[in-house]
Amino acid sequence: MKFVDEFRDGTLGQKVAAQILGVVEPGRHYKVMEVCGGHTHSIYRYGVDDLLPENVELVHGPGCPVCVIPMGRVDDGIAIAREPGVIFTCFGDMLRVPGSNGTLLDAKAQGADVRMVYSPLDALRIAKAEPDRQVVFFAIGFETTAPSTALTLMRARAEGVENFSCMCNHVTIVPPLRALLESPDLRLDGFIGPGHVSTVVGARPFEFIPADYGRPVVIAGFEPLDILHAIHMILAQLAEGRCEVENQYTRVVPYDGNTRALAAMAEVFALRPHFEWRGLGFISQSALRLSDAYAALDAERRFSVPGVRVADPKACQCGEVLKGVIKPWECKVFGTACTPEHAIGTCMVSPEGACAAYYNYGRFARDRVVA
Amino acid sequence: MSACDPYDAHCITCGDVAVEMRVVEVNESLAVCEAEGEEREVEVALLDDVQAGDRLLVHADVGLVKL
Repeated sequence: MKFVDEFRDGTLGQKVAAQILGVVEPGRHYKVMEVCGGHTHSIYRYGVDDLLPENVELVHGPGCPVCVIPMGRVDDGIAIAREPGVIFTCFGDMLRVPGSNGTLLDAKAQGADVRMVYSPLDALRIAKAEPDRQVVFFAIGFETTAPSTALTLMRARAEGVENFSCMCNHVTIVPPLRALLESPDLRLDGFIGPGHVSTVVGARPFEFIPADYGRPVVIAGFEPLDILHAIHMILAQLAEGRCEVENQYTRVVPYDGNTRALAAMAEVFALRPHFEWRGLGFISQSALRLSDAYAALDAERRFSVPGVRVADPKACQCGEVLKGVIKPWECKVFGTACTPEHAIGTCMVSPEGACAAYYNYGRFARDRVVA
Repeated sequence: MSACDPYDAHCITCGDVAVEMRVVEVNESLAVCEAEGEEREVEVALLDDVQAGDRLLVHADVGLVKL
């Protein structure tokens, strides 16, 4: 397939790996964070890390929306799902995220009408097909997904679909990156920037990273050669003493993003003053709620939700994993009490979560140091 | 392109996944698009002048980029 096969060519991969070897400084340890869960998944699916020199370490960032949802928000969703007459819709991964008292799948098994959808538009179709029921869409995702929710809400309002509402959990990418850069226990040399988030926001929002923190950013695609190429571009910047935002994914990402998508988001959403991220705590202005103009479609105003903050399970170290402070296999419950089938932490739920990526691709014991 | 199955190997949102689709037919801001034999109705309001035969990068039933 065009734009796919060319970017999975093993021979070219070896060539880029050799170029990477040519720009690393022996004796220096490099830590490069891939921000996006999609990159984490590709790295382990294709064994990208096996092609890297030993002194180039990939650190997995917080770019998996399921992984950063705190338990309290899951509890709020389940409370709405249990309301009489409600059809509760969400993406598949969200169904298995544990709240303090089970998952949405558990709520479904206990009688709640919870349905998996592929898009917000699917949820709106359900609302139009079942006008006597209240249909709620549990919206998650970064700026890639937020325009889809925004356009669906605009359509719902224009078409007067009154039995549709949205519980908004959309998050934004820049505030958690800033929080990570401010974190004293994490030293990073550069970032692989999120590819499809950047189709919406463009490359400009990442300019603060080289300007304020002196770290290079390279926006990358999701095929293995994209990722290897981006790592080479980051290491080349470091070798040449440069520090800037570069766009490896030029076949898809315009530097200024998609202005219509940004305008739709600005109309439908407003920034929350603060939002809790699993493992990272409260980060100011890091998430979206529905704007006042769309308040009538806000599920959190239409239904009563507990809104209680729930602490993460003590055994779970998702927070350290999300910050890249520890590797997934260094967590006490990784692969034993916490597995994809019975996840304790959210990083094990989504295949894009760092823990699930390590577990599914057999990276759970390879580098473990036994004291 | 399967739906986001809870036990499938990939989630479109968490994976920041976008799929290349071919436009079959345009009806105002919605277009019927096809990939791997499956057709979906896709919002194309974010793109200029979408026509049958165009290739789009689609995420959660929204066309984000014309390729």
